[in-house]
Amino acid sequence: MSSADHNSRSMENGTRRVEVDRSRCQGHNRCVALCPDVFEPDEFGYSVVRLPEVGREFEERVLMAERNCPENAISVS
Amino acid sequence: MSSHASDEHVRTLARDFSHHDEGLDVAFDVYRELRSRCPVGRSERYGGFWFVTRFDDIHRAEQDWETFAVAPGMLLPPMGHVRPGIPIDIDPPRHTAYRRVMLPAFTPQQIDSVEPLVRRTARELLDGVAGTGPVDAAERYAIPLPMMVFCELAGLPIADAAMLGDWIDRIFYVRTHDYADTERAAAECCAYLLDHLRRRRSGPLRDDLLSRLLTAEVDGRPLSDEELVDYGFVLLTAGLDTTSWVLRSSLWYLAQNAEDRARLVAHPELVAIAVEEFLRCLSSVQAMARTATRDTDLNGQRVSKGERVLLVFGAGNRDEEKFADGDRIVIEREPNPHMAFGVGIHRCLGSNLARRELRVGLEEFLGRYPDFSLAPGPVPPWYGIGPLPLHVSRGSLR
Repeated sequence: MSSADHNSRSMENGTRRVEVDRSRCQGHNRCVALCPDVFEPDEFGYSVVRLPEVGREFEERVLMAERNCPENAISVS
Repeated sequence: MSSHASDEHVRTLARDFSHHDEGLDVAFDVYRELRSRCPVGRSERYGGFWFVTRFDDIHRAEQDWETFAVAPGMLLPPMGHVRPGIPIDIDPPRHTAYRRVMLPAFTPQQIDSVEPLVRRTARELLDGVAGTGPVDAAERYAIPLPMMVFCELAGLPIADAAMLGDWIDRIFYVRTHDYADTERAAAECCAYLLDHLRRRRSGPLRDDLLSRLLTAEVDGRPLSDEELVDYGFVLLTAGLDTTSWVLRSSLWYLAQNAEDRARLVAHPELVAIAVEEFLRCLSSVQAMARTATRDTDLNGQRVSKGERVLLVFGAGNRDEEKFADGDRIVIEREPNPHMAFGVGIHRCLGSNLARRELRVGLEEFLGRYPDFSLAPGPVPPWYGIGPLPLHVSRGSLR
Protein backbone atom coordinates (compact mmCIF):
# COMPACT_ATOMS: atom_id res chain seq x y z
CA MET A 1 0.00 0.00 0.00
CA SER A 2 1.35 3.44 -0.84
CA SER A 3 1.48 6.20 1.74
CA ALA A 4 -1.03 8.13 -0.35
CA ASP A 5 -3.55 5.36 0.35
CA HIS A 6 -2.93 5.74 4.06
CA ASN A 7 -3.45 9.47 3.91
CA SER A 8 -6.68 9.47 1.95
CA ARG A 9 -8.40 7.18 4.41
CA SER A 10 -11.95 8.28 3.88
CA MET A 11 -13.56 8.80 0.53
CA GLU A 12 -15.66 11.93 0.14
CA ASN A 13 -19.01 10.23 0.41
CA GLY A 14 -18.00 8.43 3.61
CA THR A 15 -17.42 5.06 1.99
CA ARG A 16 -14.24 3.01 2.11
CA ARG A 17 -12.72 0.95 -0.63
CA VAL A 18 -11.65 -2.57 0.45
CA GLU A 19 -9.14 -4.71 -1.43
CA VAL A 20 -7.54 -8.11 -0.88
CA ASP A 21 -4.20 -8.70 -2.52
CA ARG A 22 -4.78 -12.22 -3.78
CA SER A 23 -1.06 -12.78 -4.27
CA ARG A 24 -0.57 -12.31 -0.52
CA CYS A 25 -3.69 -13.95 0.91
CA GLN A 26 -2.95 -17.40 2.32
CA GLY A 27 -6.41 -18.25 3.58
CA HIS A 28 -6.11 -17.50 7.30
CA ASN A 29 -9.69 -16.20 7.15
CA ARG A 30 -9.22 -13.74 9.97
CA CYS A 31 -11.07 -11.19 7.80
CA VAL A 32 -13.93 -13.60 7.15
CA ALA A 33 -14.32 -14.19 10.89
CA LEU A 34 -14.21 -10.47 11.67
CA CYS A 35 -16.42 -9.21 8.86
CA PRO A 36 -18.30 -11.89 6.91
CA ASP A 37 -20.49 -9.23 5.28
CA VAL A 38 -17.52 -7.89 3.37
CA PHE A 39 -15.13 -10.86 3.00
CA GLU A 40 -15.93 -14.38 1.88
CA PRO A 41 -13.74 -17.39 1.21
CA ASP A 42 -13.50 -18.92 -2.25
CA GLU A 43 -13.61 -22.69 -2.79
CA PHE A 44 -9.99 -23.00 -1.60
CA GLY A 45 -10.47 -20.74 1.39
CA TYR A 46 -8.77 -17.65 0.00
CA SER A 47 -10.47 -14.35 0.70
CA VAL A 48 -12.65 -12.57 -1.82
CA VAL A 49 -14.14 -9.11 -1.29
CA ARG A 50 -17.88 -9.39 -1.79
CA LEU A 51 -18.54 -5.75 -0.97
CA PRO A 52 -15.67 -3.60 -2.31
CA GLU A 53 -17.21 -0.29 -1.23
CA VAL A 54 -18.43 -0.22 2.33
CA GLY A 55 -20.32 2.39 4.30
CA ARG A 56 -19.84 3.47 7.87
CA GLU A 57 -21.67 0.45 9.28
CA PHE A 58 -18.72 -1.79 8.33
CA GLU A 59 -15.92 0.74 8.67
CA GLU A 60 -14.58 -0.39 12.04
CA ARG A 61 -14.82 -4.06 11.10
CA VAL A 62 -12.93 -3.76 7.80
CA LEU A 63 -10.23 -1.73 9.54
CA MET A 64 -9.95 -4.53 12.10
CA ALA A 65 -9.63 -7.04 9.28
CA GLU A 66 -6.86 -4.94 7.76
CA ARG A 67 -4.98 -4.72 11.08
CA ASN A 68 -5.37 -8.42 11.92
CA CYS A 69 -4.41 -9.93 8.58
CA PRO A 70 -1.21 -11.93 9.21
CA GLU A 71 -0.18 -11.54 5.57
CA ASN A 72 -0.83 -7.77 5.26
CA ALA A 73 -3.03 -8.64 2.31
CA ILE A 74 -5.90 -6.25 3.03
CA SER A 75 -6.02 -2.57 2.25
CA VAL A 76 -8.77 -0.15 3.17
CA SER A 77 -8.66 3.28 1.58
CA MET B 1 26.49 -9.30 36.23
CA SER B 2 29.58 -8.04 34.40
CA SER B 3 29.13 -7.59 30.70
CA HIS B 4 31.56 -10.43 30.06
CA ALA B 5 29.57 -12.81 32.27
CA SER B 6 26.38 -11.54 30.70
CA ASP B 7 27.70 -12.20 27.18
CA GLU B 8 28.68 -15.68 28.28
CA HIS B 9 25.17 -16.18 29.65
CA VAL B 10 23.60 -15.25 26.30
CA ARG B 11 26.03 -17.51 24.43
CA THR B 12 24.99 -20.38 26.68
CA LEU B 13 21.29 -19.63 26.17
CA ALA B 14 21.81 -19.64 22.41
CA ARG B 15 23.96 -22.78 22.33
CA ASP B 16 21.46 -24.78 24.41
CA PHE B 17 18.31 -23.30 22.89
CA SER B 18 15.52 -25.84 22.45
CA HIS B 19 11.87 -25.37 21.59
CA HIS B 20 10.94 -28.70 23.18
CA ASP B 21 10.62 -30.46 26.52
CA GLU B 22 12.22 -28.65 29.48
CA GLY B 23 13.19 -25.79 27.14
CA LEU B 24 9.53 -24.80 27.30
CA ASP B 25 9.66 -24.29 31.09
CA VAL B 26 11.75 -21.18 30.57
CA ALA B 27 10.84 -20.43 26.96
CA PHE B 28 9.25 -17.03 27.44
CA ASP B 29 12.15 -15.64 29.51
CA VAL B 30 14.65 -17.06 27.03
CA TYR B 31 12.72 -15.65 24.07
CA ARG B 32 12.76 -12.18 25.64
CA GLU B 33 16.48 -12.29 26.24
CA LEU B 34 17.30 -13.69 22.80
CA ARG B 35 15.06 -11.20 20.98
CA SER B 36 16.97 -8.33 22.53
CA ARG B 37 20.51 -9.76 22.80
CA CYS B 38 20.75 -12.44 20.11
CA PRO B 39 17.84 -12.18 17.64
CA VAL B 40 19.44 -14.69 15.27
CA GLY B 41 21.67 -17.24 16.98
CA ARG B 42 23.13 -20.68 16.80
CA SER B 43 21.98 -23.66 18.87
CA GLU B 44 23.94 -26.88 18.98
CA ARG B 45 20.85 -28.99 19.67
CA TYR B 46 19.28 -31.37 17.14
CA GLY B 47 22.25 -31.36 14.80
CA GLY B 48 22.76 -27.60 15.01
CA PHE B 49 20.54 -24.81 13.67
CA TRP B 50 20.12 -21.07 13.43
CA PHE B 51 17.15 -19.73 15.37
CA VAL B 52 15.21 -16.57 14.52
CA THR B 53 13.26 -14.86 17.30
CA ARG B 54 12.00 -11.48 16.07
CA PHE B 55 8.60 -11.14 14.44
CA ASP B 56 9.71 -9.23 11.35
CA ASP B 57 12.65 -11.54 10.61
CA ILE B 58 10.47 -14.63 10.92
CA HIS B 59 7.74 -13.08 8.80
CA ARG B 60 10.23 -12.18 6.07
CA ALA B 61 11.75 -15.67 6.02
CA GLU B 62 8.30 -17.26 5.90
CA GLN B 63 7.45 -15.23 2.80
CA ASP B 64 10.76 -16.03 1.09
CA TRP B 65 10.11 -19.69 0.35
CA GLU B 66 12.72 -19.74 -2.41
CA THR B 67 15.53 -18.97 0.04
CA PHE B 68 14.05 -20.85 3.00
CA ALA B 69 12.88 -24.24 1.74
CA VAL B 70 10.97 -26.77 3.83
CA ALA B 71 12.85 -29.79 2.40
CA PRO B 72 13.92 -32.18 3.80
CA GLY B 73 11.38 -31.46 6.54
CA MET B 74 9.69 -28.69 8.48
CA LEU B 75 9.91 -30.38 11.86
CA LEU B 76 13.03 -30.39 13.98
CA PRO B 77 13.59 -33.13 15.06
CA PRO B 78 11.55 -34.81 12.31
CA MET B 79 8.45 -36.99 12.71
CA GLY B 80 10.15 -40.33 12.09
CA HIS B 81 8.60 -40.91 8.68
CA VAL B 82 10.78 -42.41 5.95
CA ARG B 83 9.72 -39.81 3.37
CA PRO B 84 8.80 -36.12 3.48
CA GLY B 85 5.24 -35.45 4.60
CA ILE B 86 2.76 -34.07 2.06
CA PRO B 87 2.27 -31.17 1.70
CA ILE B 88 4.15 -29.85 4.75
CA ASP B 89 7.68 -30.92 3.74
CA ILE B 90 7.31 -30.24 0.01
CA ASP B 91 8.41 -27.06 -1.77
CA PRO B 92 6.87 -25.48 -4.85
CA PRO B 93 6.02 -26.34 -7.53
CA ARG B 94 4.83 -29.76 -6.27
CA HIS B 95 3.59 -28.20 -3.05
CA THR B 96 0.94 -26.11 -4.79
CA ALA B 97 -0.86 -29.00 -6.48
CA TYR B 98 -0.75 -31.18 -3.36
CA ARG B 99 -2.14 -28.41 -1.21
CA ARG B 100 -5.03 -27.73 -3.53
CA VAL B 101 -6.19 -31.31 -3.04
CA MET B 102 -7.10 -30.71 0.58
CA LEU B 103 -7.73 -26.94 0.80
CA PRO B 104 -11.44 -27.25 -0.14
CA ALA B 105 -11.99 -29.62 2.81
CA PHE B 106 -10.83 -27.00 5.31
CA THR B 107 -12.50 -23.80 4.14
CA PRO B 108 -14.65 -21.90 6.65
CA GLN B 109 -17.79 -23.01 4.75
CA GLN B 110 -16.78 -26.65 5.21
CA ILE B 111 -15.94 -26.08 8.84
CA ASP B 112 -19.37 -24.50 9.37
CA SER B 113 -20.83 -27.89 8.50
CA VAL B 114 -18.47 -29.56 11.00
CA GLU B 115 -19.34 -27.22 13.87
CA PRO B 116 -22.41 -29.20 15.04
CA LEU B 117 -20.22 -32.31 15.31
CA VAL B 118 -17.65 -30.38 17.36
CA ARG B 119 -20.34 -29.00 19.66
CA ARG B 120 -22.09 -32.34 20.12
CA THR B 121 -18.78 -34.06 20.86
CA ALA B 122 -17.81 -31.36 23.35
CA ARG B 123 -21.12 -31.70 25.17
CA GLU B 124 -20.87 -35.47 25.35
CA LEU B 125 -17.37 -35.23 26.78
CA LEU B 126 -18.47 -32.61 29.32
CA ASP B 127 -21.26 -34.90 30.50
CA GLY B 128 -18.50 -37.21 31.68
CA VAL B 129 -16.57 -34.49 33.48
CA ALA B 130 -19.02 -34.17 36.38
CA GLY B 131 -17.71 -35.53 39.67
CA THR B 132 -16.63 -34.58 43.13
CA GLY B 133 -12.84 -34.80 42.97
CA PRO B 134 -10.37 -33.07 40.65
CA VAL B 135 -10.90 -33.65 36.95
CA ASP B 136 -8.07 -34.06 34.45
CA ALA B 137 -9.27 -31.66 31.78
CA ALA B 138 -6.56 -32.81 29.38
CA GLU B 139 -7.43 -36.49 29.48
CA ARG B 140 -11.18 -35.98 29.71
CA TYR B 141 -11.64 -33.09 27.32
CA ALA B 142 -8.70 -31.41 25.56
CA ILE B 143 -7.24 -34.66 24.18
CA PRO B 144 -10.40 -36.53 23.12
CA LEU B 145 -12.23 -33.59 21.53
CA PRO B 146 -9.93 -33.08 18.50
CA MET B 147 -9.36 -36.84 18.30
CA MET B 148 -13.04 -37.75 18.07
CA VAL B 149 -13.73 -34.97 15.58
CA PHE B 150 -10.78 -36.06 13.43
CA CYS B 151 -11.81 -39.74 13.41
CA GLU B 152 -15.25 -38.70 12.20
CA LEU B 153 -13.87 -36.33 9.54
CA ALA B 154 -11.24 -38.76 8.33
CA GLY B 155 -13.52 -41.77 8.39
CA LEU B 156 -11.50 -43.71 10.95
CA PRO B 157 -13.11 -45.79 13.73
CA ILE B 158 -13.36 -44.04 17.10
CA ALA B 159 -12.33 -47.40 18.56
CA ASP B 160 -8.84 -46.75 17.16
CA ALA B 161 -8.48 -43.45 19.04
CA ALA B 162 -6.28 -44.86 21.83
CA MET B 163 -3.91 -46.40 19.29
CA LEU B 164 -3.73 -43.17 17.28
CA GLY B 165 -3.09 -41.24 20.49
CA ASP B 166 -0.22 -43.55 21.40
CA TRP B 167 1.40 -43.00 18.00
CA ILE B 168 1.00 -39.23 18.33
CA ASP B 169 2.67 -39.30 21.75
CA ARG B 170 5.61 -41.30 20.46
CA ILE B 171 5.95 -39.22 17.29
CA PHE B 172 5.90 -35.80 18.97
CA TYR B 173 6.91 -36.23 22.59
CA VAL B 174 9.56 -38.93 22.32
CA ARG B 175 11.47 -37.77 19.23
CA THR B 176 13.90 -35.56 21.18
CA HIS B 177 15.24 -38.44 23.30
CA ASP B 178 14.31 -41.77 21.66
CA TYR B 179 14.11 -41.21 17.93
CA ALA B 180 14.12 -44.95 17.20
CA ASP B 181 10.79 -45.25 18.99
CA THR B 182 9.43 -42.30 17.03
CA GLU B 183 10.43 -44.08 13.81
CA ARG B 184 8.68 -47.25 14.95
CA ALA B 185 5.53 -45.31 15.81
CA ALA B 186 5.55 -43.54 12.43
CA ALA B 187 6.02 -46.87 10.63
CA GLU B 188 3.13 -48.46 12.54
CA CYS B 189 0.94 -45.45 11.87
CA CYS B 190 1.72 -45.51 8.13
CA ALA B 191 1.07 -49.25 7.86
CA TYR B 192 -2.30 -48.68 9.54
CA LEU B 193 -3.13 -45.88 7.12
CA LEU B 194 -2.12 -47.86 4.06
CA ASP B 195 -4.27 -50.77 5.19
CA HIS B 196 -7.24 -48.43 5.66
CA LEU B 197 -6.75 -46.70 2.34
CA ARG B 198 -6.51 -50.01 0.46
CA ARG B 199 -9.65 -51.37 2.04
CA ARG B 200 -11.43 -48.10 1.44
CA ARG B 201 -10.47 -48.13 -2.21
CA SER B 202 -12.45 -51.29 -2.84
CA GLY B 203 -15.51 -50.09 -0.89
CA PRO B 204 -18.00 -47.29 -1.51
CA LEU B 205 -16.60 -43.76 -1.36
CA ARG B 206 -17.70 -41.67 1.55
CA ASP B 207 -17.70 -38.00 2.32
CA ASP B 208 -14.52 -37.96 4.39
CA LEU B 209 -10.89 -36.93 4.20
CA LEU B 210 -9.50 -40.33 3.25
CA SER B 211 -12.03 -40.61 0.41
CA ARG B 212 -10.97 -37.18 -0.76
CA LEU B 213 -7.37 -38.39 -0.93
CA LEU B 214 -8.40 -41.52 -2.82
CA THR B 215 -10.28 -39.54 -5.48
CA ALA B 216 -7.74 -36.71 -5.71
CA GLU B 217 -5.85 -36.00 -8.88
CA VAL B 218 -2.51 -34.27 -9.12
CA ASP B 219 -1.25 -33.40 -12.59
CA GLY B 220 -4.08 -35.45 -14.06
CA ARG B 221 -3.29 -38.69 -12.21
CA PRO B 222 -4.41 -40.22 -8.92
CA LEU B 223 -2.07 -40.28 -5.93
CA SER B 224 0.23 -43.28 -5.58
CA ASP B 225 0.09 -45.48 -2.48
CA GLU B 226 3.18 -43.70 -1.15
CA GLU B 227 1.65 -40.29 -1.73
CA LEU B 228 -1.60 -41.36 -0.05
CA VAL B 229 0.31 -42.49 3.02
CA ASP B 230 2.57 -39.41 3.10
CA TYR B 231 -0.49 -37.14 2.94
CA GLY B 232 -2.62 -39.18 5.33
CA PHE B 233 0.23 -39.27 7.84
CA VAL B 234 0.39 -35.48 7.90
CA LEU B 235 -3.39 -35.09 8.23
CA LEU B 236 -3.38 -37.53 11.12
CA THR B 237 -0.41 -36.12 12.98
CA ALA B 238 -0.88 -32.39 12.38
CA GLY B 239 -4.23 -31.68 13.97
CA LEU B 240 -4.58 -33.77 17.10
CA ASP B 241 -2.16 -32.95 19.91
CA THR B 242 -1.60 -29.46 18.48
CA THR B 243 -5.21 -28.46 19.04
CA SER B 244 -5.40 -30.43 22.29
CA TRP B 245 -2.37 -28.50 23.54
CA VAL B 246 -3.95 -25.08 22.96
CA LEU B 247 -7.32 -26.15 24.36
CA ARG B 248 -5.46 -27.38 27.45
CA SER B 249 -3.22 -24.30 27.73
CA SER B 250 -6.27 -22.01 27.35
CA LEU B 251 -8.00 -23.84 30.22
CA TRP B 252 -4.72 -23.75 32.17
CA TYR B 253 -4.70 -19.97 31.84
CA LEU B 254 -8.41 -19.49 32.54
CA ALA B 255 -8.22 -21.71 35.63
CA GLN B 256 -5.76 -19.19 37.09
CA ASN B 257 -7.38 -15.96 35.91
CA ALA B 258 -10.86 -15.69 37.32
CA GLU B 259 -11.51 -12.20 35.99
CA ASP B 260 -10.84 -13.16 32.38
CA ARG B 261 -12.83 -16.35 32.82
CA ALA B 262 -15.81 -14.44 34.18
CA ARG B 263 -15.61 -11.99 31.30
CA LEU B 264 -15.74 -14.81 28.73
CA VAL B 265 -18.58 -16.51 30.58
CA ALA B 266 -20.54 -13.25 30.54
CA HIS B 267 -19.60 -12.48 26.93
CA PRO B 268 -19.22 -15.71 24.95
CA GLU B 269 -18.91 -13.63 21.78
CA LEU B 270 -15.41 -12.68 23.00
CA VAL B 271 -14.19 -16.29 23.02
CA ALA B 272 -13.17 -16.11 19.34
CA ILE B 273 -10.90 -13.14 19.97
CA ALA B 274 -9.53 -14.69 23.18
CA VAL B 275 -8.62 -17.83 21.20
CA GLU B 276 -6.34 -15.67 19.04
CA GLU B 277 -4.55 -14.48 22.16
CA PHE B 278 -4.11 -18.01 23.50
CA LEU B 279 -2.74 -18.99 20.09
CA ARG B 280 -0.35 -16.05 20.19
CA CYS B 281 0.98 -16.77 23.68
CA LEU B 282 0.50 -20.45 24.55
CA SER B 283 0.61 -22.27 21.24
CA SER B 284 1.70 -25.80 20.47
CA VAL B 285 3.80 -25.09 17.42
CA GLN B 286 6.47 -22.90 18.98
CA ALA B 287 8.73 -23.15 15.94
CA MET B 288 9.17 -24.69 12.50
CA ALA B 289 12.36 -25.28 10.53
CA ARG B 290 13.58 -24.37 7.07
CA THR B 291 16.76 -25.04 5.10
CA ALA B 292 18.67 -22.23 3.41
CA THR B 293 18.85 -22.87 -0.34
CA ARG B 294 21.64 -20.30 -0.78
CA ASP B 295 23.96 -18.20 1.35
CA THR B 296 21.87 -15.46 2.86
CA ASP B 297 21.69 -12.85 5.59
CA LEU B 298 19.27 -12.83 8.50
CA ASN B 299 19.29 -9.65 10.58
CA GLY B 300 23.04 -9.28 10.02
CA GLN B 301 23.81 -12.95 10.60
CA ARG B 302 25.36 -14.86 7.71
CA VAL B 303 23.55 -18.15 7.05
CA SER B 304 25.12 -20.63 4.63
CA LYS B 305 23.42 -22.72 2.01
CA GLY B 306 22.24 -26.03 3.46
CA GLU B 307 22.04 -24.83 7.06
CA ARG B 308 18.88 -25.35 9.08
CA VAL B 309 16.97 -22.29 10.24
CA LEU B 310 14.39 -22.46 13.01
CA LEU B 311 11.64 -19.84 12.85
CA VAL B 312 10.51 -19.42 16.45
CA PHE B 313 6.89 -18.31 16.08
CA GLY B 314 6.44 -18.42 19.86
CA ALA B 315 9.18 -15.82 20.28
CA GLY B 316 8.06 -13.63 17.38
CA ASN B 317 4.50 -13.69 18.67
CA ARG B 318 5.66 -12.03 21.90
CA ASP B 319 7.92 -9.47 20.19
CA GLU B 320 7.33 -6.07 21.83
CA GLU B 321 8.11 -4.36 18.55
CA LYS B 322 4.96 -5.95 17.15
CA PHE B 323 2.76 -6.53 20.20
CA ALA B 324 2.67 -3.98 23.01
CA ASP B 325 3.24 -5.68 26.36
CA GLY B 326 3.81 -8.85 24.34
CA ASP B 327 4.37 -11.19 27.27
CA ARG B 328 1.05 -10.29 28.80
CA ILE B 329 -2.08 -12.25 27.87
CA VAL B 330 -4.79 -9.73 27.06
CA ILE B 331 -7.85 -11.73 26.04
CA GLU B 332 -9.34 -8.84 24.05
CA ARG B 333 -6.06 -7.87 22.38
CA GLU B 334 -6.53 -6.10 19.08
CA PRO B 335 -4.84 -5.99 16.67
CA ASN B 336 -3.46 -9.49 16.96
CA PRO B 337 -1.99 -10.58 13.60
CA HIS B 338 0.03 -13.41 15.18
CA MET B 339 1.63 -16.23 13.23
CA ALA B 340 0.79 -19.23 15.40
CA PHE B 341 -0.22 -21.12 12.24
CA GLY B 342 2.76 -19.82 10.29
CA VAL B 343 2.42 -17.33 7.45
CA GLY B 344 3.17 -17.57 3.77
CA ILE B 345 2.53 -20.54 1.51
CA HIS B 346 2.79 -23.14 4.29
CA ARG B 347 0.09 -21.61 6.51
CA CYS B 348 -1.38 -24.47 8.54
CA LEU B 349 -3.86 -26.23 6.28
CA GLY B 350 -6.14 -27.08 9.20
CA SER B 351 -6.16 -23.67 10.87
CA ASN B 352 -9.87 -23.09 10.26
CA LEU B 353 -10.70 -26.42 11.89
CA ALA B 354 -8.33 -25.80 14.80
CA ARG B 355 -9.79 -22.35 15.46
CA ARG B 356 -13.33 -23.71 15.38
CA GLU B 357 -12.51 -26.57 17.75
CA LEU B 358 -10.86 -24.14 20.14
CA ARG B 359 -13.71 -21.63 20.06
CA VAL B 360 -16.47 -24.20 20.40
CA GLY B 361 -14.45 -26.23 22.91
CA LEU B 362 -14.00 -23.19 25.16
CA GLU B 363 -17.58 -21.92 24.68
CA GLU B 364 -18.95 -25.27 25.76
CA PHE B 365 -16.57 -25.72 28.68
CA LEU B 366 -17.24 -22.22 30.02
CA GLY B 367 -20.96 -22.58 29.42
CA ARG B 368 -21.13 -25.79 31.41
CA TYR B 369 -18.51 -25.02 34.05
CA PRO B 370 -18.19 -21.26 34.50
CA ASP B 371 -16.16 -21.68 37.67
CA PHE B 372 -12.99 -23.77 37.81
CA SER B 373 -9.50 -23.56 39.21
CA LEU B 374 -6.31 -25.59 39.34
CA ALA B 375 -6.57 -28.51 41.74
CA PRO B 376 -4.30 -28.19 44.81
CA GLY B 377 -0.70 -29.18 44.17
CA PRO B 378 2.15 -27.98 41.97
CA VAL B 379 1.10 -25.83 39.02
CA PRO B 380 1.22 -28.07 35.94
CA PRO B 381 3.32 -26.85 32.99
CA TRP B 382 1.64 -24.49 30.52
CA TYR B 383 2.76 -26.67 27.61
CA GLY B 384 2.16 -30.15 26.30
CA ILE B 385 -0.82 -32.44 26.71
CA GLY B 386 -0.02 -33.77 30.18
CA PRO B 387 -2.51 -33.82 33.07
CA LEU B 388 -4.41 -30.63 33.91
CA PRO B 389 -6.20 -31.43 37.18
CA LEU B 390 -8.98 -28.92 37.73
CA HIS B 391 -11.35 -28.30 40.55
CA VAL B 392 -14.63 -27.82 38.72
CA SER B 393 -17.74 -26.30 40.30
CA ARG B 394 -21.03 -27.08 38.75
CA GLY B 395 -22.63 -24.03 37.18
CA SER B 396 -26.21 -23.69 36.21
CA LEU B 397 -27.26 -26.76 34.26
CA ARG B 398 -28.56 -26.17 30.80
